[in-house]
Amino acid sequence: MIGNLFGLLLLLGAGLAYPWLLPGALTVGITILLFAGWATAWDILGGWAGQVSLGHASFVGIGAYFVAIGAMDYDLAPWWSVLLAVAAAMLLALFWGGLTFRLHGPYFTLSTIAIAEILRLIAINENWLTGGATGVFIATLPMPFGIDLFDRLTQFYLALAFALGVIGCVVALSRSRFGYQLRAVREDENSAMAAGIDPTRVKLKAFMLSSGLTAIGGGIYGMMLSFLEPHILFFLLLSVQIALTAIIGGRGTVWGPLVGAVLLVGAGEVFRTTFAEANLLIYGVLILLVILFLPSGIVGEVNRRLIRRRYARSAQG
Amino acid sequence: MPEALKAEDITVRFGGVLAVDRVSLALKPSEILGLIGPNGAGKTTLFNAITGFVPIENGRVTFFGEEVTGEPPYRRAQRGMGRTFQTERPFEELTVLENVLVPAFLKKPRRREAESLAMAMLERVGLADRAHQPALDLNLARRRRLELAKALAIQPRALFLDEVMAGLNPPALREMIGLVRSLSAEGLAILMVEHIMEAIIELSDHVIVLANGRKIAEGKPHDVISDPLVIEAYLGTD
Repeated sequence: MIGNLFGLLLLLGAGLAYPWLLPGALTVGITILLFAGWATAWDILGGWAGQVSLGHASFVGIGAYFVAIGAMDYDLAPWWSVLLAVAAAMLLALFWGGLTFRLHGPYFTLSTIAIAEILRLIAINENWLTGGATGVFIATLPMPFGIDLFDRLTQFYLALAFALGVIGCVVALSRSRFGYQLRAVREDENSAMAAGIDPTRVKLKAFMLSSGLTAIGGGIYGMMLSFLEPHILFFLLLSVQIALTAIIGGRGTVWGPLVGAVLLVGAGEVFRTTFAEANLLIYGVLILLVILFLPSGIVGEVNRRLIRRRYARSAQG
Repeated sequence: MPEALKAEDITVRFGGVLAVDRVSLALKPSEILGLIGPNGAGKTTLFNAITGFVPIENGRVTFFGEEVTGEPPYRRAQRGMGRTFQTERPFEELTVLENVLVPAFLKKPRRREAESLAMAMLERVGLADRAHQPALDLNLARRRRLELAKALAIQPRALFLDEVMAGLNPPALREMIGLVRSLSAEGLAILMVEHIMEAIIELSDHVIVLANGRKIAEGKPHDVISDPLVIEAYLGTD
């Protein structure tokens, strides 16, 4: 617990120092923080509850589109549209989970791909609402207390607050009753039921929390892009990237998704600038290596060794 | 005082196979009821039907006077049905203490209280010194005791034990028998499915024998095991 609070402080410190140290790389910083937040939110469902989703781009898209449509068509400030987006994302998760949580393992995962596909088709075809395939452009945003929401630095701090908030949620969850219910359901549904836990209810709660948090980051992403296209926002690749970030960092760990985001986004950036065309190949090989040799992810593997070492020491002494 | 458990005319069918055929049983508070029978007799199926893990085709289950027929297993656990699993299944990614914490949270939502309840249950089954070990590392005898601690951590009103003695070496068996007896002495109603006759004879107040899904005998342990019908079911005819 103390370690986790220290970790949050460290992240806050690093986040505050980043704009001073790397003022030219704010966009990369925002992307890392957004992916850290999304992957951590994804992990509540995918890691802690063990229900792998390949549809989280849906909730990113809902956040972004709500902010854009709110600003352009309804003159709604982004903080209100984000709240609406969170409600919409949670409702969608409740509906989808209620429909599909009877499916187990890969079948649930496959079904989640459909959510983003459906939303993508809606975004493409409902021109009046979403601007269709050409997309929607955020031209103006309010300036609360004179703060420019289009400014990269502002967006960086928003993304930092988002990542801290989501990781903070998971820190609290990791020690709470709900966190243990999630892990019990992931490990063995029958044993969980024998402990008085309703697995479907627990999974639904996890899905709703995960999707609502993801939508908040989606709102910030919308402001960062300021031009939204359905092919990017509801793209399967985005869902896969969010899931991979958490899986490589370590599913079901507090810090795994952040580590994954720093590595994947950061390394992706370095490779792209250094190796040009070859970057995807190297990126792919890296992912393969982690999955082959660290199947529980980087932080997962480290945690496992720490626990064993601690136990071995206490057994000796 | 109503019976702790009353199961009437329980019938379970798997496809075309009649696994349990109109079996009734009653369990009084602070009684130990032994459920025995040859392999494939339907003991575990009946056990699962009573605890809600297997749907029944016919029959009625009443728990401390309240009907629970058709309720999902977690609801029955919330009412105080504590059970173990024949193939013990610890939450492998969790430590021993955390394994017991999960059920302890049912009655104690606060972490601190849940943890002290879980610790007390580990002490009860003699696993306190292993609390921080990964559950994956426990040997069979200790996994059995962990199963028992998990069942106890929901603070049950009745305990359902599915072959907790199987595969234990003699000292571990003695310990387990002592443990079950002391739980019963504290007033817990216990239904146990068991193959180990030594444990059944020593512990049970009452024994029910199943064969081919039907109840073929019941009574005091010593009377039941000398019943020719029971001997025939176990050893076969000719």
